[in-house]
Amino acid sequence: MVPDGAGLHQLGSWTVIGLLVVFYGGTLLMTLFIGRRNENADGYMTAGNKVGFGISAGSMTATWIWASSMYASATSGYTYGISGPIHYGLWGALMILFIYPFGKRIRAVAPKAHTLAEVIYARHGKSSQLMLAGSNIVGSMVSITSNFIAGGALIALLSPFSFTQGILFIGGGILLYSLWSGFRASVLTDAAQVFAMLGAVVIIIPVVFFAAGGSDMFVSGAARLTPQQSNFFSSEAFMNQGAPYIAAVLAYAIGNQTIAQRLFAVREDLIKKTFVTATVGYGATIIGIGMMGVMALYAGVVPLDGDTNNLIPQMAATYLSPVLLGIFLIMIVGALSSTADSDLSAMSSIMMADVYGQNIAKEGKANPKTMLFIGRITMIVATGAGLYFASGQLNILDLLVFVGALWGALVFPVIASFYWQKITNKAFTISVIVALACFIPVRFEWISMGGLTGLVVDLLSIVGIGVVLGLMAFGFFGLKTAKIVAAVAMLAVAPFAIGVLHDYAVLSGSLVAYAVSTLVCYFMCFRNQATFDFASIKDRIGDFDNREEANHSTPGTLLEKKA
Amino acid sequence: MTAFFLTLYVLIWPVIVAGVLYVLGKAFIQEIRDARREGRPLI
Repeated sequence: MVPDGAGLHQLGSWTVIGLLVVFYGGTLLMTLFIGRRNENADGYMTAGNKVGFGISAGSMTATWIWASSMYASATSGYTYGISGPIHYGLWGALMILFIYPFGKRIRAVAPKAHTLAEVIYARHGKSSQLMLAGSNIVGSMVSITSNFIAGGALIALLSPFSFTQGILFIGGGILLYSLWSGFRASVLTDAAQVFAMLGAVVIIIPVVFFAAGGSDMFVSGAARLTPQQSNFFSSEAFMNQGAPYIAAVLAYAIGNQTIAQRLFAVREDLIKKTFVTATVGYGATIIGIGMMGVMALYAGVVPLDGDTNNLIPQMAATYLSPVLLGIFLIMIVGALSSTADSDLSAMSSIMMADVYGQNIAKEGKANPKTMLFIGRITMIVATGAGLYFASGQLNILDLLVFVGALWGALVFPVIASFYWQKITNKAFTISVIVALACFIPVRFEWISMGGLTGLVVDLLSIVGIGVVLGLMAFGFFGLKTAKIVAAVAMLAVAPFAIGVLHDYAVLSGSLVAYAVSTLVCYFMCFRNQATFDFASIKDRIGDFDNREEANHSTPGTLLEKKA
Repeated sequence: MTAFFLTLYVLIWPVIVAGVLYVLGKAFIQEIRDARREGRPLI
């Protein structure tokens, strides 16, 4: 290790190359043990719909923990103080928890589906399907780019390699092990990567804590915190970090194909167990990592170049020994790889099932070999695009805000489509477009919020709160409880929200998107006399690949065939 | 919050993570054993 001039330490070139070769080489070897000469197209997308608890819970945890979430949790701790990591990690964890009741319903309606958009196609038609699939693709593209940027920046900070060399190592490594077996490779390697990640978290947090001064740090550094930062119930942390994230809980869960893919992959009776375990695993990991931001605040650490994204690598490079710094590098590389490979699998599944399977091939005539070719080409193109966007170091998280709002607008129409017979394709499409049109001027503050406009935004935001909490209650307790929760929530917040909420553009923008899509969708449909037989979806969505040579029920891997 | 509670607050998370790691590890090993015993692929 040599000091890099900024008081931090770096790993040597060969050490970094060795660590990456061991990590990606080991991962590739795992995928060779499950790879087939004739991969099954359905297996490439959902691994046969009967993955066990250990693998699926590990995969769900690893997928949801991405490098940016670690950095953002630490930033939240550094910015908002001791409650910051809770307001990032807890609500992020609840995204996994609150989707599982809806997931069970969707799985019951379409047990053999590959993507959520595919089920929407069977329920409504093309425009609704492509709207959801498009938002899934954009979200995964943003995620993969963000992970490449995090990986490149980390390698540039901790080694002599440049940012560009870093993203090429990461992108190449992920594509290498994901390309042949798709989701099967992703889900199995996720399960292995989660052990590396969680194991590193168990070691690194206590080591940094004691190296930074232990309990004494909280005494000597207390003067560095503002009253809001030292308050566990900080209103500033709640309004700026917690509340917008609570509003995003269902949006991110519905809009993310990586979650849907695991809902369709896990054995149906294990959905609840899998998602509850992943909730705890994700929450504890991300809140724990966020504590490094809190420790940095108490220790008086100033972020390198004023960028709070440097906090975690900076704390690691300051307080960890060379061996632990290597483990730290593997933790971050594991976090970004497990998410990026899931995004590649998600995008390939959408192109295979939604674009080719449902829209290009004639019904029932999709060629499994063509599907696999499209899936693999998608992975290569997506990796190339991710590297291109990452090399420009775009502020990709701004785009994520927009995608999050698009998902927010989709939440009610998507969820209601699986329970309410009256929803139509027209109502679905129009409600989402109108909600987006209302979201944009509110979120980006294009209009003055004085007078009547501010009041309308406040009222819509209150309805949005009712929609969010009502839908959360609906998943677990049914319609009657949901209506009560929504009504009580709206009445309870109204006195505090009117005249205030429109000042918080991020929060009110999201809530307006929820409210408008719900109101438009409801009023376009409630008089509708049409009915829909949900049992018919099961008959319209099934396996694409019934080739005998691609039957995966017996062992026989690439390695065995070569031997 | 006192320094004692802040210390607990920071160090409780790695303990929970270790618990999750144990549960996942145990299940993962069991799935490998089941797949071998039944002569089917793990995934």
